Amino acid sequence: MVYTLLSIAAFVSVFPFLWLIVGATNISSDILSGKTTPGHALFDNIVKLTQQVDLVQLFYNSTKIAVISTILTLIVASLAGYGFEIFKSKFSERVFAGLLAMLSVPFAALMIPLFVTMAQLHLINTHTAVILPTVASIFVIFYFRQASKSFPMELRDAARVDGLREWQIFLFVYMPVMRSTYAAATIITFMASWNNYLWPLIVLQTNEMKTITLAVASLLSAYVPDYGVVMVATTLATLPTLLIFFILQRQFVQGLLGSLK
Amino acid sequence: MTGLKLSNVRKTYGVLEVIKDVSLEVKPKEFVVFVGPSGCGKSTLLRMIAGLEKITAGDLEIGGKRMNEVEPSKRGIAMVFQSYALYPHLTVRENMGFALRFAGVPKNEIIKQVDAAAQTLELGALMDRRPGELSGGQRQRVAIGRAIVRKPEVFLFDEPLSNLDAELRVHMRIELARLHKSLAATVIYVTHDQVEAMTLADKIVVMRNGLISQVGSPLDVYDNPDNMFVAGFIGSPKINFIKGVVDGVSKSGLTVVLPGYQDAKVTFATKNSSVPVGDSVTVGLRPQHFNTTGKMKFKLNVELVEHLGGESFVYAGNGSGDLITVATQEGRGLKSGQKFDAHIDPAKALLFDANGQRVR
Amino acid sequence: MAQSSGKTTLTGWLFTGPALMLLTFFMVYPILSSLWMSLQVGKGMNFSFGGFANMWRLTQDAVFQKALLNTLTLLVVQVPIMIALAMLLAVALNDPSLKGRALFRTAIFLPCVTSLVAYSVLFKSMFAYDGVVNRFLEALHILDQPIPWLSDTFWAKVLIILAITWRWTGYNMIFFLAALQNIEPSIYEAARIDGIPRWAQFQKITLPALIPVVLFTTVTSTIGTLQLFDEVNNITLGGPANATMTLSLYIYQLSFKFMPSFGYAATVSYVIVVLVMILSFFQFVAARDRRRP
Ligand SMILES: Nc1ncnc2c1ncn2[C@@H]1O[C@H](COP(=O)(O)OP(=O)(O)OP(=O)(O)O)[C@@H](O)[C@H]1O
Ligand SMILES: [Mg+2]
Repeated sequence: MVYTLLSIAAFVSVFPFLWLIVGATNISSDILSGKTTPGHALFDNIVKLTQQVDLVQLFYNSTKIAVISTILTLIVASLAGYGFEIFKSKFSERVFAGLLAMLSVPFAALMIPLFVTMAQLHLINTHTAVILPTVASIFVIFYFRQASKSFPMELRDAARVDGLREWQIFLFVYMPVMRSTYAAATIITFMASWNNYLWPLIVLQTNEMKTITLAVASLLSAYVPDYGVVMVATTLATLPTLLIFFILQRQFVQGLLGSLK
Repeated sequence: MTGLKLSNVRKTYGVLEVIKDVSLEVKPKEFVVFVGPSGCGKSTLLRMIAGLEKITAGDLEIGGKRMNEVEPSKRGIAMVFQSYALYPHLTVRENMGFALRFAGVPKNEIIKQVDAAAQTLELGALMDRRPGELSGGQRQRVAIGRAIVRKPEVFLFDEPLSNLDAELRVHMRIELARLHKSLAATVIYVTHDQVEAMTLADKIVVMRNGLISQVGSPLDVYDNPDNMFVAGFIGSPKINFIKGVVDGVSKSGLTVVLPGYQDAKVTFATKNSSVPVGDSVTVGLRPQHFNTTGKMKFKLNVELVEHLGGESFVYAGNGSGDLITVATQEGRGLKSGQKFDAHIDPAKALLFDANGQRVR
Repeated sequence: MAQSSGKTTLTGWLFTGPALMLLTFFMVYPILSSLWMSLQVGKGMNFSFGGFANMWRLTQDAVFQKALLNTLTLLVVQVPIMIALAMLLAVALNDPSLKGRALFRTAIFLPCVTSLVAYSVLFKSMFAYDGVVNRFLEALHILDQPIPWLSDTFWAKVLIILAITWRWTGYNMIFFLAALQNIEPSIYEAARIDGIPRWAQFQKITLPALIPVVLFTTVTSTIGTLQLFDEVNNITLGGPANATMTLSLYIYQLSFKFMPSFGYAATVSYVIVVLVMILSFFQFVAARDRRRP
């Protein structure tokens, strides 16, 4: 009974992935008529995809945006999370509560003024415009603050007695001690950036600037999408996150749970 | 060599005053132990000396210089923490050299000093391990090693042994005492374990509610407590307190009756007591001072006996007063319900007035 | 134990400073700015003050009302199904004697690795009229005629619900599993020694431990659903006949399709803000009531 339930759930969860891989080897009409066996069109699909989009450019753009945005987010958010936890004051607690309240403001409410601001700064269609608003992620700040509660106070005291300044304590004690927190946050942030859709869709307008996620979406939105090609593109777009997940599953789950503690 | 002086030191958190006017002098090379119940302010006082907490009022001098506003690392102190506070990402070697690295000491000099400290503490084989791979006792030694490397004038310890098991604690206690002799440094040591305090200290500082209750050598504090709190805190098992009333005052002393014990009378050779006849007082009798020959006699019934092997603790009463604890070498045959006479030499009894202050 | 002297407070603000500056610029300012914008009327970059004109327009706008209704429908139907499913799966997976536990867990968790765009591709292709899902259901004789998933107003909504449930159930399950694993095993042992039956153990021990998670996942899922955009934009484009139009998609279309109408779009976005605020308030009340014995 339990096994039946779990087996069905597992099958439903995994089937679309198999479908994706099989689909990449089939032609569009076969995909739409539900063919579940591998075909011979993989090579053709890849060739067609490379004719339609510049894969190298797309991957470069996606990687560049995800890497820069992850590094900046980790620095800014961990500094803030540490600061809010260690240097608590009545006022800083109030500011932090304000941040938490903003966590529930939907992106839709921000995107129009953000777009206007970016236009005024002449940043439309730049990667800077994609990265900047994601850097001060309240979610990641919150995550680091929660994690900082487990950073031993005595370690800070020991470092102060050892003559470290506050920034040295952060750099040489906090960061290395909390590296599993950083690992988890890296995964979450990287994936969020890699998979981000709405905001890049708004600010990135030319093909040379687009990310792989945007390219998949635009292939799909063609009047008559070629599903074989779309499936290949989707496989390629999903592969990096899938790999990260399998290699770093434990940190990934830890990263998700960090927000609940 | 460096001593240390606290003058009218206070600490408040908001409206809460946790250190209320503490003055204390620590001589160079002295081993001073702060004891007191949990929450009495021992750690706070130590952290104020270390520079980890701001001093709200009063002065702190180390080696004759005022240190209130000086950075912790520039006070010539080193500190050993209760949970060791070793840097988990660094090896033992790196942990011990960490402070020197940030003080700009050249690399080969760091290596020399770390190796010297490692030798003193016999840490040689552990130098490339990380704290996670060490036992509790080894971590404690590394923490002490980290302190030694800095060649401080004053060592500060905050309950360094409380995370160790009983056997290791005794072992480390002896090692600490030996280390103090060989380093010839000033030590301030916080504990709430009075055995540690008695065995290690040159000078015990008994604290209570943010105030110093008494300062003295271990035996002084044991034999000659200033008040009921100190008498009760130092000594194990705990001292017996028996209620009494002043019956007569004369030139040579004062007589107290004990209403709970057939109005037995004790005479104290007090010099100039101001306690009037009729006042209630408390008589303190240490469990270890009971014997079979003393002039004062308590007729009791055994309620419970704890055999520790060599010694036995007898808890006995006469139905009216509290139970009296007696420590004796000859308690093996005793059973509960048995009659038991406890004798004591009246000269050993301690007298306290109604406010708990000692009457001498 | 931090000292609260002036110097350390300043140090604290130096740590939080970069984040606060960025947030002021990219969060606080946009929030206020869109509030201001919602009072403006006009197309493109030409605004003029319109007072409450935009709010009046809301009451006249059939597409907006449809989007609002759709969003709330999705919320009311999808969130409870998903949370219940996540909880059920977590309880099933929490049994230490279960064989292949790690494998099941990984499999069920896998969907949340995909990007929202990627799984939109999968669902759009699988749920084609002659697609694999209809074929499968016909083969099992559940259907004798294919379902027009993408072109029927009712089934399009069902499709979106299925898609979201597929993507997020495993994600939510992880939170339930974590909570279950935080329960001391000795509590169950004590209950067994006291002879408390299995269902009572579940009711008195397991369930109370899960209630905070139910609250947490409900709130995050609700906020997520209120912002639903990627899936509908890629699977159905809000169609057919606006049957899957959501508030976020509508805001996007108002702002960046045809003639942009920023002021009105900002007004619609504040509808989401108000909805989130109302729901957060309910969550606050629920959390407070729970704390009272
Ligand atoms: N940051 C703080 N804010 C407010 N009160 C504090 C703070 N730190 C300590 N206290 C209070 O000061 C008092 C003394 O604390 P302290 O840690 O010095 O006690 P202690 O003697 O070391 O006790 P223990 O033996 O349990 O370690 C306690 O009542 C404690 O609650
Ligand atoms: Mg303490």
